[in-house]
Amino acid sequence: MNIADWPSWLGILLFGFTVTYFWRVAGVVLVRRLDPDGEALLLVRAIATALVAALVTKLVIQPSGVLAETSIVSRALALLVGIIVLRLMKRYQSVALMASLLALMVFETIRTSLL
Amino acid sequence: MPYDWGALFHGIRAIFSLAGLVMTSSFIGFGALLHSMGLAIELGWYTTLFIWAMPGQVVYLTMLAQGASVVATALAVSLTAVRLMPMVMLILSKARQEGQPRWPEYVLAHCVAITLWVISGQSIEKLPRHRRLPWALGLGVTMIFAMVGAMTVGYYLADALPPILACAIIFLMPSFFGLSLISSAYYRFDYLAIALGAVLTPIGMLYFPQFDLLVAGLVGGCAAFLLGRPIRHRLSKHEAGEGRS
Repeated sequence: MNIADWPSWLGILLFGFTVTYFWRVAGVVLVRRLDPDGEALLLVRAIATALVAALVTKLVIQPSGVLAETSIVSRALALLVGIIVLRLMKRYQSVALMASLLALMVFETIRTSLL
Repeated sequence: MPYDWGALFHGIRAIFSLAGLVMTSSFIGFGALLHSMGLAIELGWYTTLFIWAMPGQVVYLTMLAQGASVVATALAVSLTAVRLMPMVMLILSKARQEGQPRWPEYVLAHCVAITLWVISGQSIEKLPRHRRLPWALGLGVTMIFAMVGAMTVGYYLADALPPILACAIIFLMPSFFGLSLISSAYYRFDYLAIALGAVLTPIGMLYFPQFDLLVAGLVGGCAAFLLGRPIRHRLSKHEAGEGRS
């Protein structure tokens, strides 16, 4: 069964909402019983962290839309700039974010003007 | 003491913060991304209202655009949502009160997202306990509807924006998640999970194109946990109780 065959709202309710809300409810139920710093949750945390890191990597390697027209080198370097600024100014994630965006624009402007 | 629902309005105001601004920009970026993928705006509204977790929304829409199967999509979205469970637990452990109605806990659970977790970590402990849950609920519900607006703006702005700026706004999202992961990383295995998840992704994309994120997340996460655990024990002995809010 292809996901695109379903009406959009129904598909999102059935295969987006329920599977997401399941984990939210699990959190509500478990918060009374489990130690939030327990072993099982730490494993879940590690898997989730790796999964989001994978998503970020995939969006950098193979982005959709307009971003696909930029060079992978610019995207990877821009993210690296953000990470370096974040390491330098731990409290200011928004500064790091802006630095990363600015870096992408600068790298792309340089690249397109060179070609 | 019963919940003080007056704090709902206090919570609404918390959206006017730096984290709220970043979230707004990244939802403008999400709207622009949706537009650039050639998908309908309704998909943005429904995923924002019903899923309310941008990684899950992006995974859902990416798999929809690729024509993935129902099972693969539900599995992939579900695995990105696992991350929400500890966030729900951490927010609720600070906000909920014993012996009070439980329905607000289930509503708040739906509002939990990375940004709400970040803002709560910064300010929830300054509030008296009976004001915390209404405060978080006011903030969370306001965020959901504000972000439906932000993504709509981004969707229609996508064409009017100079391409280089549009690229930057779309890039906000992976950049924001990447930086959020690193700035919220606390244990040694968090950093390992980020590194392994990133390194395993190209391999996953090559050998398991349908399940690349699942493979990188599961294998990378489990490996990071197993490798990083002994170090975590040492860390948690002298740093227990710090930094995980």
